[in-house]
Amino acid sequence: MKPETMKSYIWLQTADGSIQQVEQEVAMFCPMICQEVIQKGVGSSKNHAISLPQRVNPAMFSLILDYCRFHQLPGRSNKERKTYDERFIRMDTKRLCELTSAADSLQLKPLVDLTSRALARIIEGKTPEEIREIFHLPDDLTEEEKLEPLKNTMDDPRIRLLNRLYAKKRKELKERERLKNVEVEEHVDERSVDDLLSFINGRDPKVVKMSKGKKKKKKKKDQKIVSSNDIHDKESHDLHSKQQCVEETGSSMRDVPNLPIAEDDISTSKARSEDEDIDDEIDPAMRELLDREVEDFAQRLNSNWVRSLGQERRPVHFSINGNGTTRRHTGQSP
Amino acid sequence: MNNLPEDCVAIILSLTTPLDVCRSSAVSRIFRSAADSDDVWNHFLPTTDFPAGFAAPAGLPTRKQLFFSLVDNPLLLNDTDLSFSLERKSGNKCYMMAARALSIVWGHDPRYWHWISLPNTRFGEVAELIMVWWLEITGKINITLLSDDTLYAAYLVFKWNPSPYGFRQPVEASLVFLADTDSTDDVQPSMISLMQDPSGDEAQSAELRRDGWYEVELGQFFKRRGDMGEIEMSLKETKRPFEKKGLILYGIEIRPKP
Repeated sequence: MKPETMKSYIWLQTADGSIQQVEQEVAMFCPMICQEVIQKGVGSSKNHAISLPQRVNPAMFSLILDYCRFHQLPGRSNKERKTYDERFIRMDTKRLCELTSAADSLQLKPLVDLTSRALARIIEGKTPEEIREIFHLPDDLTEEEKLEPLKNTMDDPRIRLLNRLYAKKRKELKERERLKNVEVEEHVDERSVDDLLSFINGRDPKVVKMSKGKKKKKKKKDQKIVSSNDIHDKESHDLHSKQQCVEETGSSMRDVPNLPIAEDDISTSKARSEDEDIDDEIDPAMRELLDREVEDFAQRLNSNWVRSLGQERRPVHFSINGNGTTRRHTGQSP
Repeated sequence: MNNLPEDCVAIILSLTTPLDVCRSSAVSRIFRSAADSDDVWNHFLPTTDFPAGFAAPAGLPTRKQLFFSLVDNPLLLNDTDLSFSLERKSGNKCYMMAARALSIVWGHDPRYWHWISLPNTRFGEVAELIMVWWLEITGKINITLLSDDTLYAAYLVFKWNPSPYGFRQPVEASLVFLADTDSTDDVQPSMISLMQDPSGDEAQSAELRRDGWYEVELGQFFKRRGDMGEIEMSLKETKRPFEKKGLILYGIEIRPKP
């Protein structure tokens, strides 16, 4: 039997009222206990036991003591500590939370970090519903409050996209204006009337397509909006004259500078196919908004031929042939 | 988790990613409050190892707003042609080197390259290639500027003037980590195409960015904690006997690969 006289103990009382004594070096590993002993001089006897914070229930306290007992020994290697830690935190989520809370109230930072990291790993990548389920959290936010974070959420930056589209559109209109004035003399429009007609008719599906709200790759969408500067010579001239035709037939591009316009799709869609499977996760409220705006725009653009082509919403692809004519394919890409 | 106080939740959230934190604001009241707190967002903002010359833009009351401001509005670092921003989902650091910060062979000679200012670009100048036979563009960045434990890629950002020529064939690109003792003599460059390639034949071809410029990947590297040295990336076409024209060079952007 080891002589007990040399060892000192600290008396601690947990939230349920039970009192126990703990080896001094182990208990003092917790800053909060340390503080109580030094500043207030308590803990030296059963009558003067230190009351632990309410968050420390006996089960958690026992775990914490195990942790302290292991780590307070200076002779342990980093590897040993790491291995111990990894095994230590293998417990269910509920206990992890309780342990975090208890360790936090005892100001035992290393343990708080350890458990927090474990909980962070659990949270990462989960949806709000999943998080609520795992942690049994109350669903106490209003619907409105839940939608608000969407403005910042990176998953679906629709609002930002819209703003960006508007800005780009305005910029492009200015650019076209400029180009038109500079280059109109040099160009010869080689395309047939048929091509031009099919182009004009083909604008409907594009207009309608916007409302499907494919958000898959933002750059795809923006790609359509990009100004004609990015295209090599001939094509930009082509575009330009198409532009002129459209402006004559349609009306109001200037009246609705805020909406992305279909012919942009034609200009830059040559290389891109839209047919990949797209998770259409757009919030219904946003989809409605987009739908409404597109309808509005369509109306202003002489809705006769829009309606006449039916409600078909299948994407139509345009690509620019080598000689500058447009080619249209429906349905799946070749 | 009902018994977890908000500061504990904040600690836990600060160990996740900006994306997770934003999602957390839709979980419950406590989570939302923790998710908006400065403590959490401070964690995602670069602190001590921040590039020198950063001053927080005025009028931004919360750290969360500061974070997003750095994501959406790249910061021009003082006295250099380098812009800094944060990647949205992870908070990792991104940089872009202006054309002026790169070493362009013959770039100083106005017969071959000229320097113009374009609107909507963040740097004062971009380089426009008039005509050159020897095309060689090199950039270097100190790896310690970047975020630890992240896979990065370097992209050449460019577009075309109305009459480009000579770029239909692939060109050489390379990316090398110049640590103290490495030699770079035996690095094999990869062939990339500055044109868009819908058929997907080329390993790396140009893609259109959301800002209207094109980009093509020059190479990738993984930054580990404690790495030191420079990353050197280059684009070269010096073997074919015809001239190249019409490239407008914005710079080289370095950002995490998703």
